[in-house]
Amino acid sequence: MNASRLLASAWRSLTRSKLRSFLMMLGVIVGIASLTALASVGEATRQETMRQFKRMLGTFDTLTIRPGAGSTRGMPSLGAVEPSLKFDDGPAIVAGVRGVKRVALVQQAFDLDVSYRDETAVPLVLGVSPNWADVRGEAVASGEHLSDDDDRTLARVAVIGSDVAQTLFHGEEPLGKVIRIADVPFQVKGVMAPRGAGPGGVSLDNMLVIPVSTSAKRLFNRDYLTTLVVQLEDANESDRVADDVRAVLRERHRIIPPAEDDFTVSSPRATLAQITSVGTMLSKVVTGVAVIATLIGGAVIMSLMLIGVSERRREIGLRRAIGATRRDVLRQFLVEAALIAVVGGAIGIVVGAGGATIGALLQKLPPAYEWQIIGAAFAISLAVGILFGLYPAWKAANVDPIEALRS
Amino acid sequence: MSMIEAIQLSRVYLRGDGTPVTALRDVSFVIGAGEFVVIRGTSGSGKSSLLNILGCLDTPTSGTYRLSGDVVGSLSDDERSHLRARRIGFVFQSFNLLPRATALENVELPALYSGAAPDRGRARELLGRVGLGERAAHYATELSGGEQQRVAIARSLMNDPPLLLADEPTGNLDSASGESVMQLLSSLHREGRTIVLVTHDEHIASFAGRELVIRDGVIASDTVRRAQVPA
Repeated sequence: MNASRLLASAWRSLTRSKLRSFLMMLGVIVGIASLTALASVGEATRQETMRQFKRMLGTFDTLTIRPGAGSTRGMPSLGAVEPSLKFDDGPAIVAGVRGVKRVALVQQAFDLDVSYRDETAVPLVLGVSPNWADVRGEAVASGEHLSDDDDRTLARVAVIGSDVAQTLFHGEEPLGKVIRIADVPFQVKGVMAPRGAGPGGVSLDNMLVIPVSTSAKRLFNRDYLTTLVVQLEDANESDRVADDVRAVLRERHRIIPPAEDDFTVSSPRATLAQITSVGTMLSKVVTGVAVIATLIGGAVIMSLMLIGVSERRREIGLRRAIGATRRDVLRQFLVEAALIAVVGGAIGIVVGAGGATIGALLQKLPPAYEWQIIGAAFAISLAVGILFGLYPAWKAANVDPIEALRS
Repeated sequence: MSMIEAIQLSRVYLRGDGTPVTALRDVSFVIGAGEFVVIRGTSGSGKSSLLNILGCLDTPTSGTYRLSGDVVGSLSDDERSHLRARRIGFVFQSFNLLPRATALENVELPALYSGAAPDRGRARELLGRVGLGERAAHYATELSGGEQQRVAIARSLMNDPPLLLADEPTGNLDSASGESVMQLLSSLHREGRTIVLVTHDEHIASFAGRELVIRDGVIASDTVRRAQVPA
């Protein structure tokens, strides 16, 4: 018996009792729909988280070095950190570690008033080395980025984020205007292109940058950094470079074992992988429920198939009499079970994808339809059909044709 | 050439409590190719047990059954299935059509198990042969008893088997329908098909050239009514 005739005959028997077939599919539909929706929403959320971090960090091919041992949560402000990272640490890392493209220096504070005439904003203020924009791939919407000259001459110039431009200037041209950062006058030389929302949906445009030498000597009066951003030549070397960076810094900071590092090297890629791999408790529970629904769907298929086998004993007897082998009968019932589960699964995938779309729209995220998710949902349905169809099919194959044909 | 050779066939069943019941006792006979034979007996005579063995659905407890030369008793379940598919056409008292399939689909069904390519044309032809060409698209449940039995006969011919086994084919039919079914079987016999028909009805025996009467598991009589022309 060839596959297409087998499928055609299974399809006929399925379509001729539509209500029963639908009932058999129901559990699989519900289970697969929830699994598909969950996986798709989870994937959409994961992708959005990735995008938010990407917007915040500019690039994942970096290592971030912060002062103090142990990973610091949130944004460190210059006034609150250990004074362990020095300006010279940057060039030392470039010189001493293979595979480092650039190192950007950052001093940051987020508690400074920035004003223009009567308007005041409290943006994130970053003192950055001129290569910062290159590390992040940051573009200006108008004006220019900070230059090497600005840094060397301790120029009082600022490149402002689009939120700051809006808050302080209300559409007026900001370029060339003088703003006051903690009462120190700075001239606006550029406006950055909007970056959008970062993690947690917080705007990444409520910020401004000034040369790090200017911030150190004219604004903060501090000779240490809040962050070093190390850009890698090759992202795959992240671990090796991190080890080398640690060695260079320990030597420069004269740290002798067993003393701990007075800095922390972290890889945004690793941090992100950790964040996105941890599902919420809720999604785990719902996934469990969906798996159970799918299994119940399988059990429903099995019990209705068993009823079907006893109702169709005469048919089985007849088929055996006209030449069907046990295996032919087994295959027939197995294919029917698998077909029911797969059709149910297909409906479930469509329903689930619809649910995921609604879920994504509610969260204002672009929906994610992953082929892997659809493929996995399909494979699960097929497996459920075969698994739960096996016993009824075996029962059918072992119907005694003589008994079954006796009227 | 003989179609069926039964040599000292016995069939013993075990009851639930373990006591043996002998349904057939040392039954021997030969049926030649092209014969039309009625096996007649009352219920409990052993005729159903015999039919199951002749139809390769069951194997004898002892003795030898040869179907066109092949010893059936030593064959596996699969091999007997293949034998049924190619060499035997079954006609049942209760027709046993698939209710959710059309007449045409029912006729085609045996081709599924013979290894032959699907042949809708042949199925149509056979429906025409039994006078139901117009009814091909009707579901089995929409047909009268006589029509259903004729569909079943067309089905039994699908794989062109040399042997037809009919079990009380007129048992569920009124006399007019029964008559037309018997006429149909007679004409198939005239075309050279070997037919073995099991019945309890004495009247039916008149259609056949030979009558075996079975009683208490043994052949009580073997009467040739008229000389038969082998195919």
